[in-house]
Amino acid sequence: MKAPAVDYVRPRSLAEAIDLLAHAPVEARVIAGGQSLVALMNLRLASPGLLIDIARLPELLEVADHSDAVILGACVTHAAIEDGRVADPSRGLMPRAAATLAYRAIRTRGTIGGSLALADPAAEWPAVLAALDAEVVLYGASGPRSLKCAEFATGIFQTKLAQREIVKSVRIPKLSGDARCGYVKLSRKSGEFASALAVVVADHRRGYSRVVSAAANGAPLVLEDISRLVGDGGRDPEALRNALDTDLDRASDRRFDEFQRTLHTVAAMRAVQQALA
Amino acid sequence: MTAIRLHINGTVVADDVPPRLSLADFLRERRNLTGTHLGCEHGVCGACTVLVDGEPARSCLMLAVACDERAVETIEGFAGDPVIAALRRTFHQRHALQCGYCTPAMLITARDLILRRRAGSERDIRDGLAGNICRCTGYTNIVTAIAEAAGEIGEEAPHGQ
Amino acid sequence: MANDRYGIGASLLRREDDRHLHGRGQFVPDIKLPGTMEVAFVRSPHAHARIRSVSVPPEARRRVFTAADLPGVKPIRVTSHSTGAKSPPWPPLATDKVRYVGEAIAACIAPSRGEAEDLANAVAVDFEILDAVIDAPRDMRGSRHPIHEQWADNLYIEHGLEGGDIDAAARAAAVTVTREFRMQRQSGAPLECRGVLAYRDHRLDEVVIYASTQTPHAVRVALAEILDLEERRIRVVAPDVGGGFGPKARLYPEEVILAALALQLDHPVRWIEDRGEHLLTCAHTRDHHYKVTAYADRDGRILGVDAEIVVDAGAYGLWPQGPYHEASMVARALPGPYTFPNYRARHYTVATNKTPLGPYRGVGRPGACFAIERLIDEVARALGRDPNEVRVRNLVRPEQMPFATVGGLRLDSGDYPASVGMCAELLGLPAVRARQQQGELDGRKIGIGFAAFAEQTAHGAAEFASRGASIIPGFESCTARILTDGSVVLMVGIQSHGQGLETALAQVAAEELGIDPARISVRHGDTESTAFGFGTFASRSMVMSGGAVARASRMLRDKLCRIGAHLLQCEVAEVRCGDGVVAGPRGSVTIAEIAKVAHLRMDGLPQGVDPLLDATATYEPAISTGVFSYATHGAVVAVDPETGFVELLDYAVAEDCGTMVNPMLVEGQIRGGVVQGIGTALYEEIPYDEAGQPLAGTLADYLLPGAAELPAIKIGHLHTPTPHTEYGMKGMGEGGAVAPPAAIANAVRDALSALGAEVNETPITPRRVLAAIRRAREGVPGHV
Repeated sequence: MKAPAVDYVRPRSLAEAIDLLAHAPVEARVIAGGQSLVALMNLRLASPGLLIDIARLPELLEVADHSDAVILGACVTHAAIEDGRVADPSRGLMPRAAATLAYRAIRTRGTIGGSLALADPAAEWPAVLAALDAEVVLYGASGPRSLKCAEFATGIFQTKLAQREIVKSVRIPKLSGDARCGYVKLSRKSGEFASALAVVVADHRRGYSRVVSAAANGAPLVLEDISRLVGDGGRDPEALRNALDTDLDRASDRRFDEFQRTLHTVAAMRAVQQALA
Repeated sequence: MTAIRLHINGTVVADDVPPRLSLADFLRERRNLTGTHLGCEHGVCGACTVLVDGEPARSCLMLAVACDERAVETIEGFAGDPVIAALRRTFHQRHALQCGYCTPAMLITARDLILRRRAGSERDIRDGLAGNICRCTGYTNIVTAIAEAAGEIGEEAPHGQ
Repeated sequence: MANDRYGIGASLLRREDDRHLHGRGQFVPDIKLPGTMEVAFVRSPHAHARIRSVSVPPEARRRVFTAADLPGVKPIRVTSHSTGAKSPPWPPLATDKVRYVGEAIAACIAPSRGEAEDLANAVAVDFEILDAVIDAPRDMRGSRHPIHEQWADNLYIEHGLEGGDIDAAARAAAVTVTREFRMQRQSGAPLECRGVLAYRDHRLDEVVIYASTQTPHAVRVALAEILDLEERRIRVVAPDVGGGFGPKARLYPEEVILAALALQLDHPVRWIEDRGEHLLTCAHTRDHHYKVTAYADRDGRILGVDAEIVVDAGAYGLWPQGPYHEASMVARALPGPYTFPNYRARHYTVATNKTPLGPYRGVGRPGACFAIERLIDEVARALGRDPNEVRVRNLVRPEQMPFATVGGLRLDSGDYPASVGMCAELLGLPAVRARQQQGELDGRKIGIGFAAFAEQTAHGAAEFASRGASIIPGFESCTARILTDGSVVLMVGIQSHGQGLETALAQVAAEELGIDPARISVRHGDTESTAFGFGTFASRSMVMSGGAVARASRMLRDKLCRIGAHLLQCEVAEVRCGDGVVAGPRGSVTIAEIAKVAHLRMDGLPQGVDPLLDATATYEPAISTGVFSYATHGAVVAVDPETGFVELLDYAVAEDCGTMVNPMLVEGQIRGGVVQGIGTALYEEIPYDEAGQPLAGTLADYLLPGAAELPAIKIGHLHTPTPHTEYGMKGMGEGGAVAPPAAIANAVRDALSALGAEVNETPITPRRVLAAIRRAREGVPGHV
């Protein structure tokens, strides 16, 4: 299928982009890598009317490497993260996750900001950034505001992004040198969306641990009980499993069928095992 | 219509295009560069892969307007490129193509793998080809051909782009 | 062989490669004609509905065509001579009813495809929705809203096949194994979707249709009939075709409509199928339901098999063969290459409100192989024996050839038991067993499974007549022409879409003429330049077309020798043709020199020999019941019992296709077929919901195997030339796709043997594996 008719504009600065967005019809969309948006347009599932191209805005490509955090501009590509061409606050977790995202030719154009803004339930970045306790910086006509990534997605393709706002950057706290991570993506075919995704971050030195489940019929699921147990140094498989079951039982609104429940359980347990190894 | 100006295979091209036009259709219909093929138009099959600013990209998922001021390389280019030349030779010798529809994209993807030094093992090559569907060959000979070309290019390959 | 370098048996590199490696292939979408308008179709969103009205925006009236706007177009109609066969008329654009999601209702024309789609979206169709028939086994005898109103039921055909005494076999059995099998609906999914470009050529008074098809001559026959045009005014060209595999070996409504539009509008029109359309409307395949029982004695000898076979064939029959052959092919192939004498099969081909069913690599054989090979394994397990022991015990042996199976297939030659042993060796069976004993650190279960089969190839008149076919693809043709400079053109009626026939057929001519294949061109796929032929499908081209090339080449060779002898002033018996010359006792003359005499200096010809070096021959094998390739496939899997995920660790094929014209090409076909079979086994399906909506609309849902999921495919060869063809060659294009579902299902069974779990449905998804494990745990007997 071919995309529906659309208008296109490429602003030269973030301020210009925000101004365009503020005055554009409500269906208008910003486009960065376009790997999701153009696919949706080609399937005639999206008809934005106006595309505002932000892919090359210098403000969205900035990378800052601070002592305690790395800030990645929204238009940093998955490939740049995969290749280690940008500072890595996650001790290898982010490059590892990036390498499992779709295919290389998608990763060279798709962006971390785009992934967050779309909030595909099976996507990698929302889950990884939630696990890393990252913050997303949004930018609108009234300037920037910051939200926790773990609270940014609210449902399937739903986020707290306001109507005339864009994702500007992501601020990721740096993991300690001895932090441990786990990442399990269950999919039948390389590059396809996950059937179940689990990300674990255990940074004892900073007193931080989190276990996140994605491809979970909604926003990434922070699994509180097992996160706490991992943070307390829990290693007993049965205890971990009980905590996980409690977390998944609590998420009854996700309506897992038996197969999904099984996959999410296995993914989370294996990711925890990786972090404990 | 929007005016664009970009490089295609080293030549400057200027045109006026509707924003809805994909890079793939721009290449195929406006520039008569039909070596880039369409197999799905949703980014999965890989048949449309070209280089944009030196990196593989899905021309079906890029708008021509978004390629303004960019450099695009298609299978019709790569004149004198030693990696493509080696791959053409090994693909031919190893019977790594049958109907030929996936072949231009396979070559471009394989060249990128070799240049990024991700063609050193069968596992690496197979993983690197995940985004290129072939329905005819069963991939065995494609993997062999890429491994051979990678071996030939060896240490002379410029690192990255 | 005449020439090891380039004759029969040489792994000659392909001449097709150069254009594709440089992106200079010419597929239908690559052909540009000035003034071309693009076509998009309005398609039914409903599985079953009456059309109340079609509303076109007034400004677009001239650019939207419904059936009423093309009154000269007759319905597509398949004719079958099988008893009781029912054949529904299929209007290329729907008239009063639509019968599957995707059925074409109107054609919209615009300068670009995007605009044509905009126009299609602006056309409003008012429907009265009817119940959709989507459960073939349940609804074959009738439904509340019949699909084809003149029918008393929803059956295209039902039939039976019997041999021996199945009831006696049942009574004598020490072991009885019954299973239900299911192959889910699939798409052939070539990488290039379909496409049609049509225009009027006023100079030649023809309508020219470029189509991504496997059967250009057959398409011409159909178009002439449906459009009421003489064939001499229709030209069909299949240029480069990006994969066919069977679904492109049928006539489609789009081809008819585009031709009709070209005639009416007098400018070129083009329709390029997109992937969503392809998954929706190009022939669907497989979609079988079986219930099969095997009876065996305590030594593992199969006494008989009893089978019920249901094929879900969709809403219409695809021309020319319709859906009539699929179920009967399953029935005939189900006994496999086994010698048991008692058999009963009842088969039902059911009309449903789904996309019409067409052939796809193997057609009925993958399903038949799936069923019988799973049963062989289950009989073995019931007796505590190794599956390959039972397999070999029942396989036809070389000394029994030729052997007519109880399914009615006449196996001509081969050593089937040897292929089992060779395959086990290729996979290192003892090492796999040792690994199984050790167990895996990651907790996965290793399994190995095998499947053997016979592949009927190059079958002709007898076989197609027995299927009730009204069109019998029983021969192929070749016109071989030596031009004035000694170069050669072969014009053939098949259509090479990846098989390398531009190279392999040149090898045959090179073998007979002693001319370097580099001087031989093969022209195919164009009704203009080739004598009538049926196309490439059913594993027939190398044998049929190769045989025609051989015969035509020999006719030319004989003429070359006659003229050459005359030029050399000696007897014909004294000369030999080879290495580019005709050589006699006192010298030689080049083929180019002879060609000059035959064309430019005919005064030099001997008495009684006409000018030109042009020969047309047809060919059919000595028997038309088919020559049978065969193989044993083996798969090694690792199954994760916690997630149900299956990884393919190793795969081997031990095959015999007789004489191989080009071994390199043969292995390419095997590997390609195997990976498609793996797709059937593990990944590909198009489920339908209760309303008849197909649920796999993109390649994100319809998973195609990629290199990362696959091992290298190992191949071993046996060589049993058949006595019935030129050079002893057999067809083999489909075989690779026949056995993988069976071999992989058997491997999964082996992996999970401690759990007693089995999956008898394709694709073998993680969900189905876990369900099987749960069923085994709960003690539910093995079914689907």
